[in-house]
Parts: sequence; structure tokens; C-alpha cells
Amino acid sequence: MTLTLFYYLAITAIYILMSWSVYLPYRIGQLHFMTVANMAISAYFSALMTIHFSWPFPLVLLAGTLLGALTGFAVSTAVGDAPCFAVVIVGFTFIYLTKTVIENVEIFGGPLGIFNIPKIINSSSGNRILLIIIVYFFVFLTGFFINRFDRSKLGRAASTIFVDRNIAVSFGVNPKKIGMFLQTWSSAIGGMSGVLYAFIMRGISPNHFTFNFIGICMTILFVGGYSTMWGTLLAAPILWGFPLILPESLQAWNIVIYGILLVIILLLKPEGIITRVMVQRVENIRLFSGKKVTPKSPSNKKAAQ
Amino acid sequence: MNVLTAQFFNGLAIGSIYVLLATGFNLLLLVARIIHFAFPVAVVFSMYISWILITLTGNVLAGIAGGIVSAVLINMLTAPMFQHIMNKRESVDINTTMVLSMGLGMIITDILSHTFNQGFPIAFPDTLTGNDKGALISSGLISISRGQILTLAVGVVFVVILFQLLYKSRIGRAFRAIAEDPNEAKLVGIPLLKTGLKSYALTGLLGGVTAVLMSVLLGSASAGLGDQLGHKVLAVSIIAGLGNLTGGLIVGLLLGILEALIQGYFAGSWSNAISFAVMLIVILAKPRGIFGLKLRFQEI
Repeated sequence: MTLTLFYYLAITAIYILMSWSVYLPYRIGQLHFMTVANMAISAYFSALMTIHFSWPFPLVLLAGTLLGALTGFAVSTAVGDAPCFAVVIVGFTFIYLTKTVIENVEIFGGPLGIFNIPKIINSSSGNRILLIIIVYFFVFLTGFFINRFDRSKLGRAASTIFVDRNIAVSFGVNPKKIGMFLQTWSSAIGGMSGVLYAFIMRGISPNHFTFNFIGICMTILFVGGYSTMWGTLLAAPILWGFPLILPESLQAWNIVIYGILLVIILLLKPEGIITRVMVQRVENIRLFSGKKVTPKSPSNKKAAQ
Repeated sequence: MNVLTAQFFNGLAIGSIYVLLATGFNLLLLVARIIHFAFPVAVVFSMYISWILITLTGNVLAGIAGGIVSAVLINMLTAPMFQHIMNKRESVDINTTMVLSMGLGMIITDILSHTFNQGFPIAFPDTLTGNDKGALISSGLISISRGQILTLAVGVVFVVILFQLLYKSRIGRAFRAIAEDPNEAKLVGIPLLKTGLKSYALTGLLGGVTAVLMSVLLGSASAGLGDQLGHKVLAVSIIAGLGNLTGGLIVGLLLGILEALIQGYFAGSWSNAISFAVMLIVILAKPRGIFGLKLRFQEI
């Protein structure tokens, strides 16, 4: 496997995971950008534990994921049912604070970061193949659980909160509990992605965890479609990949291109390319072997999108 | 004690900038019903336009006029985009306007970091900042610059004019009526679109004046300044209670004073982090603000 292909596949997987981690809390209308701070914290944690204490990869992966989940849970106790803008600013503030600490505390390597994170196995090509297998195993596993969640009672409750919080409460749904659950899950995915990212890049710096990173994840989510998990799967490989085939002079403008794409999609098709109705139609065709079936009428207009 | 007094004055000047930005942000939220996260980014863009015009023409007045015009233009040009989304309110929630605004912010910030001055921070000439003339008031460690006095004075005058406009004029009543209940405002004959556009123009003007004041006070700007201001203004508005203009005034001034006091005793990078940490603690404790939201929860 060439180095270019390895990075393309591995970073695509990271963007899928991170965009899903933004997708989950957005099921109840919260933009939980704290997941990027969780990613940074776990990436640095895993690098330090591996370099200084020789922790094995499975242990740092588990510990990094738990660290993300615990941080996410602690914050969610305060903003589990907070309005979207409050969750946004909490996320931004956490990213800013994490970045300041990383840049100013010596053990984290300052603005240059930490390099020479050990390989999982000694062989370079073997390490790449193993990492791709591991990363995509976790993409599959996360996707499986998100799919199960979307089809569960809890997923339907989340959709109701997104559409109308008051109706959800009158049906006995507890927005705070669901918000806490989704934020904790999102942070756990962020933590896991951070550890995987550190081992893929084998070097991390504060510049990797910036507001531009959020911008790319947000573009992937909204262009792909924020109402289903499948939009991310479609958008991540294309959006992350296409700047790589642009002429070198244009590659530096990738954030402008992402921004323009995001604005265009919000103006023309705010629900994104893949909508929930579209997914439902595909499922009905599959289930009823080509018989024309009218999709079940969704409980409301927004949830259907 | 001297440091404390000097930093207090500095804090008032910085605070008045936050007040102007938070007022513009809240006005757009109340009347146009959008969360314009990129409003401070557009203000920083206007600072860059001012800098270009001053560099090209050597004329400070041209720079000031250019900065104000560009802020109004950006606001008016982006207005149709936000209105387009707001027309679909039945199927699109208010958060979409925030995401759209973030997208616009990404574009502006990246353009600034690639084009103007080859991506390096810009420095305004002394003819604008007045730094060459030294401090206006100087006593021991206390040194108050012309920029600080000008920012504070213009900030106070603008806030007073704005509040007079909001509470004493016909257009102000229309703004407040829409903020209170857009449907009832429409019923009594207030044109929502036209009034909304007026709020874009007014906040554009406010943004332009803020850009000029920031150029005078800070003397420099960088591409990342807009994002940082955006976070602070959103935090100020949340702590004050989103849409709460009086609350924004109080919290904006308090944040400015807090920041200046921290800067007096801590290194640069940590001082910003400390003020962010304080804001984070307040938001975690009161996610819906100290002074109460001026919008119903369902609307946000």
C-alpha cells in the first residue's frame, strides 16, 4: 500500500468518525464541537502514554476513548439540554483552552507538538495495513451502533426533540438524558479518533485540531445530509479527497472551497444530499423486492428530511 | 494600584468594542432572527479594507470611509442568503443560519489569511492610531492613549444613540415589535422584510464604526482575530442572555475589564485562556444566561 493511499484511506476514516461524532448530538439539534477538543486531548494522552510509559496500543485506545467519554459526560451534566448556541460556544471554548495548554506546557511539545509515536508493529507496510484494518473496523462498529440507534425508540425520541422539544417532553421524553447520552457518545468517538489519528500520523501538533477541522467536519455533515448517518459516508471520501486532485496552487484554498460548498448546499438543499426520506425509499425497495411502496409518513416534516 | 487603574481604563475601551459587537449581533438576532456568528469576522474584514485604502491612498479618511462602507456592503450582500433560509422556516431551524454564518466566516477568514499582506498580520499607520503623539494622559505607570479615549467616547455615544433609536424612534419600535412577536408585528402592518433589511444596514454601520475603532485601539489585525472575536461576542451574548441588549452592554464591559486586568498580571496567551475559562464556567453554570433570554426557547 502506497503512503498516499494509506493517508487518503486513513484520514477519510477519521473524518467519517468525527463527522458522525458531530452528527449524533445534532440529532437533537446540538452542534457539539467539543468532540474536536476530546480528539486533541486523547491524541496527546495516547502519544505521551506510549512514548513515556510504553503503554500498548489497545490499552491507549481504550483509555483514550474512556477519557473522551468521561470529559464529555462531565460537561454534558451542565449542557445536556442546553440550546445549540450554548453547546457551540462551550465546544469552541474547550478547543481554545486545550490548544492554549498544549502550546504553552513543555511536556506537550509546544507549537511543534509530539513526534515519533511508535508503530503498532515494526514493519512499515504491515503497520499501515494493520492500521487501515483497525480504523475501518471501528468505522464499521460505530456505524453499526449509530444505525441501531437511529432505528431505536431512543433515536425516534431524539428526532422528536429536534422537531419540537415541548412535544417530546409531553410524550415523556427526557431531553437532558438523551442530550447527555449523545454528547458522551460523541466525545467517546472524538477520543477514539484522537488516538487513531495519533497512530496514523505518528506525530501531532496543535495545528491539527483547529477551527478549520470543525469546518471540514461540518461541511461533510451538512453537504452529505445531517438527517441520516449515510450522508457522511458519501461526502467524507469525496470532500476530503477532491482537494488532493486539484492543482497545487488551488489546494491551499481548500477551506474557501469547503466554505463555498457549505453555503451553496445550505441555500439550495439545506437538508443535504442524502435525506431520511431517500434512505427510507431505498430500504422499502430492498424490503419489498421492487414493489412500489409509499414510504411511511414521517411524524413530521423536519424529521423526514 | 497604578497598574490596576491603567488596566481598568484599557478594559473599558476594549469592553466598549465588545458592547458594540454584541449589540449588533443581538440586533440581528432579534429583528432578522439570525445567529450571525460571522458578524465580527466581517468587521475584521472591514479593518483589512481600511488598511488597504490607507496604504494605497495614504489618506486616513478614505480608509475610515472604506471600512464603514465595506461593513455595510457585506451585511447587505449576505442578507438575501439569510432571508432565503428564513423563508423556509417551516422546514429549517434557526441553527441553519448559524451554520451558514460559520460557512461565510470560514470563507472570509481563509481569504484574509491567504491574500492580504501575504497572510501576515497587518499594522495600521500612526496617522490613524495616533501612537506617534504619545499618551494623552500619563501619570506614573498610568498611561491612557488617544485610541483608548476615542474608543470609549465613540462607543458610549453610539450605544446611547442606538438605545435612543431603539426605544424612542418609530423604526426602533418596529424592531422591538418584531423581536417581541413577528406574527403580531406583521398583523399591525410592520413590513418584516423591509424592517429586517434596515436592521442589516444598521448593524453593518455599527460593524463599520467598530472596525475603525478597533483599528485605532489595537493598531493591528490578523486573519484569526475575527474567529476569536466571534467566540467572545457569542459568549458575551449567551452570558447576558441571547437577545438581551442591556445584558450585553453590562457583560461586554465586564469582559473587557476582566480581560484587561488579567493581561496586567499574566502572559499574553494565558490571559486569553483565563478569560475564556471564566466565560466557560459561567456558561456551564447558566447556559441560558444571567439576565434571561429575550427569545422563546423554541425559537432557538
